[in-house]
Formats: sequence, C-alpha cells, structure tokens
Amino acid sequence: MTKKVRNDYKRRGRSILFSVVFLVLGFILAFSYRTLGINQEANTVKPSHFIQEEDYREMLISQQERNKELTDEIAAKQEEIREYERSFSTGKKNHAGLVEEAKDLRLLLGVIPAVGQGVKVTLKDADYDPVEQNPNDYIVHESHILRIVNELRISGAQGLAINGQRITSNSHIQCTGPVITVDGKTFPAPFVIEAVGDMNVLSSALHLKGGVVDSLIRDNIVVTTEQSKDIRLSALRDES
Amino acid sequence: MWLPLLGLALGVSLGLLSDIQIPQIYDNYLSIAVLAALDTLFGGIRAYLQQVYDDKVFISGFFFNIALAAALAFLGVHLGVDLYLAAIFAFGVRLFQNIAVIRRIMLVKWTEKGKVSNTNEP
Repeated sequence: MTKKVRNDYKRRGRSILFSVVFLVLGFILAFSYRTLGINQEANTVKPSHFIQEEDYREMLISQQERNKELTDEIAAKQEEIREYERSFSTGKKNHAGLVEEAKDLRLLLGVIPAVGQGVKVTLKDADYDPVEQNPNDYIVHESHILRIVNELRISGAQGLAINGQRITSNSHIQCTGPVITVDGKTFPAPFVIEAVGDMNVLSSALHLKGGVVDSLIRDNIVVTTEQSKDIRLSALRDES
Repeated sequence: MWLPLLGLALGVSLGLLSDIQIPQIYDNYLSIAVLAALDTLFGGIRAYLQQVYDDKVFISGFFFNIALAAALAFLGVHLGVDLYLAAIFAFGVRLFQNIAVIRRIMLVKWTEKGKVSNTNEP
C-alpha cells in the first residue's frame, strides 16, 4: 500500500520534472529559432556597418548617375544655346525687316492707326444733266470706288479708308442704291477715299493716262485728288 | 504522460510569443544552450535504452550542461577566445555519438523482435 503510494508520487514527480525539462527545451528551441532564425536572414546581409556602407555606396552610385544625367543635359542645353546664338547672328539682319513687315501687315489689317503722307480722293455725283435720262449714268457706283481702292492698293498704299471707315483685306463694298455700304456701314456721296502711302506714287498711279481717274471722269464723276503730308487713319473700329 | 507534452507546447509558445530581445553577441550562448539541451535529451534517451537511466543525472545534466555551456561561451567572449566553438564541438560530437548509440540499440531491438516474431510464426 505505502509502496504503491510512493510509486505514484515518484511517477508524478518524474512527469512534473519532465514537463519542466521539456518546457525549458521548447522555450530554448523556439526562442533560438525566433532570434537566430530571423537573424540568420539578416546575418547574410548583416553587420550593420556593412549595410550602411552598401547603402552609402548605392546612394553614391545613384548620385553619380544623376550627375551624369545632369551633365548630359547641360551639354545638350549648351549646344542648344550655341544653336540659338548662331541663328541670332545670322538672323539679326533680318529682324529689322521682319519688324517692318509685321508693321505693314498690321497696317493692312487696320488694327493700328495709319499716319503719314498720302492722297485723298473725293468722288462726287455729277450735277444733274438734262441730256442724260438715266440717273445711273451720273452717280458714283461701288465699281468706281473699287477701282480706286484697287489702284491705290496696287500702288502700295499702307492704309485705306472710305469716309473714315478703314478698309482691310476682309472688307466688302456694296452698292445699295444711291449709297454705298462698307463693312455693313452705309455712306452717302460724296465719298472721300484716304490712302496712306507715298503720295507721289499714289497720285501719279491714279492720274495715269487712260487710268482710273480718266475712266471715272468719262463716267461723269467729279473726281478731285489732293496730296497731303499728314493723313491720319484711325484703327479699325469693330463695333457694328 | 500528457504533462511533458503540455510543457513542451507551453515552452514553444512562450519562446515564440515572448518579446525578449537579446544582444547579438549572446547569440552564441543561445545556440550552445540549444546544443546542450539536445545533447542531454538524447543522452537521457540513450541511458534509458541502456537501462542506466537516472532522474537526478538527467535533470541535473540538462540544466548543468546548459549553464556550463553558456558560462563557457561567456568566458570565451570575455577572454577573446572562441570557447563556444569547443562547446559546440564537444556537444556536437556527443550528440552524434548518442544518436548513433540510440540507433544501434533500436536496430538491435528491431532485429531481435523480427527474429522473435519469425520464430513465433510457424
């Protein structure tokens, strides 16, 4: 009886001891697995200063690559600048011409006021002539004005205006009975056509033998041309 | 019977879940402790198979070996001598010897069993 109890105790004590041993064993195994096993991975790349060195080296390499890129970029930009400079040196002579051209084009478009010497042409309907039956034969038609305008343009007029309305390359001139419509605005006779340009050239172009003025006079229109040193044409007014 | 297994599971979970971090230089101690524990465990099994097993020897050997190995490694670190290598070597050799003995004993037992069953068969 007592022997059995002792045996029981012994067995229980042994199993408790074993459990303690296994607890320690399991703890050590798991702990070392956790720390060393994880460290093992890091160990291949570890020693911290090696990592740092590697990091620094990579940073250095990336910086050097960036530097190289930037240097290339600088070289390309400098090449571009040289190109610009070359084109400047050749283009400088053209610039004055280009500015002049732009000014001329703007004048033709009528977006800036035109000031200078020029001619002023006045077209008046002829006085009533009892011989003529048809009144169409002695009033100013849009074709007459068109002829004058075209002639002036051809002779190099920089700006044109009819009764103060600027004529541009887009203008349209219409005959609407005894009046004329220019760009939607109606003007009665007499018509004053002003042109800025070389006044001598313009007036001599108008007065060519068999030219515009001659033909207008043949159409019974009173034409007066005067040269003026100072003609001012306002910019195109867009209100309609 | 289930108590040791419970202890093992508890120990493993404790080891996995514990948040203790040990300095890097003490990694060696840990590996030596593992080796010592395994060595003692297999030594116990061998002793049991050779019918020379004793509780006191096993328990004291288990903890004493672990402590000794750690102490040896600690001393080695502080003396600048890689003493933990000696511990690893000694424990490694003993581990292999123990396992070899266990294997032989098992082999002998198995062959004897086979002979017995063979003789019993007819």
